[in-house]
Amino acid sequence: MNKQEIDANQWVDRYGDLMYRYTLVRVRDQGAAEEIVQVTFLAALQATHTYAGRSSEKSWLFGILKHKILDHFREIKKNRTFDLSPDDDQDPCEYDSMGHWKKMPKDWRLDPEKSAENQELTEKLVLCLDDLSDKFRQIFVLKEIDGVSSEQICNEFNIKPTNLWVILHRTRNQLKNCLEIHWFDGKKQE
Amino acid sequence: MEKMMNSLLSWLNLTCEDTSPLISEMMDHRVSFIKGLKIKIHLAMCEVCLYYKEQLGIIRNLSQNLGREDFPVNINATLPAESKEKIKKMIEANK
Repeated sequence: MNKQEIDANQWVDRYGDLMYRYTLVRVRDQGAAEEIVQVTFLAALQATHTYAGRSSEKSWLFGILKHKILDHFREIKKNRTFDLSPDDDQDPCEYDSMGHWKKMPKDWRLDPEKSAENQELTEKLVLCLDDLSDKFRQIFVLKEIDGVSSEQICNEFNIKPTNLWVILHRTRNQLKNCLEIHWFDGKKQE
Repeated sequence: MEKMMNSLLSWLNLTCEDTSPLISEMMDHRVSFIKGLKIKIHLAMCEVCLYYKEQLGIIRNLSQNLGREDFPVNINATLPAESKEKIKKMIEANK
């Protein structure tokens, strides 16, 4: 059997930056991201006997990393609520008395299916994510970046389903406004 | 008859303010048939809300792609050198 060997001496050079970037998308704090990467390597060292060689060393390490990021979110949850609270921002989109948009959404002239690879837009999205409140950012990351189900998010982070829809709607609106200002309006002037 | 038609139309007719949260909600779970019908009717008449729906779709696709392990974003972000040294020492000590 051609079992893949683990080479812990090479881990940091081979995967350190990749894992750090992956974590930074999910956890905006650089210090916390560094710590999560460190904790992941330590956990991996202690778990080398569980490495079956079925997956690549890289995906095995990323599997551990994903758990550690989720643990980080759980740790935050201990100290404060993830559910909607009165001090959360209002809907960032405003409407007039007739229920019309005050600032109308514009035609971004992009095919939603083909837009995923748009590097420039993705970079702006990363910046816009950092403008979100911690709570909204974390919920958005779990739901839309990591694809965790609504049920799991509600159960694990004690959020009422109806409040989760409100949080996601406000977060999407904030991101949409941010992208409109920093990407779409900027492009028009070019 | 006309009165009935008008009240039916006003019942079916959502404002943009009503529709916007429903468009978002639709991305997260199935909505009832009636709700779905109301959204469709509004979207057939309102180009602006259609743009909004597209924008949310674009944000979703970008986010999913951003979640990939090898996505080349933050390409300039590297694990700080002192952190790397610290982790290497830790690995050496715990092998």
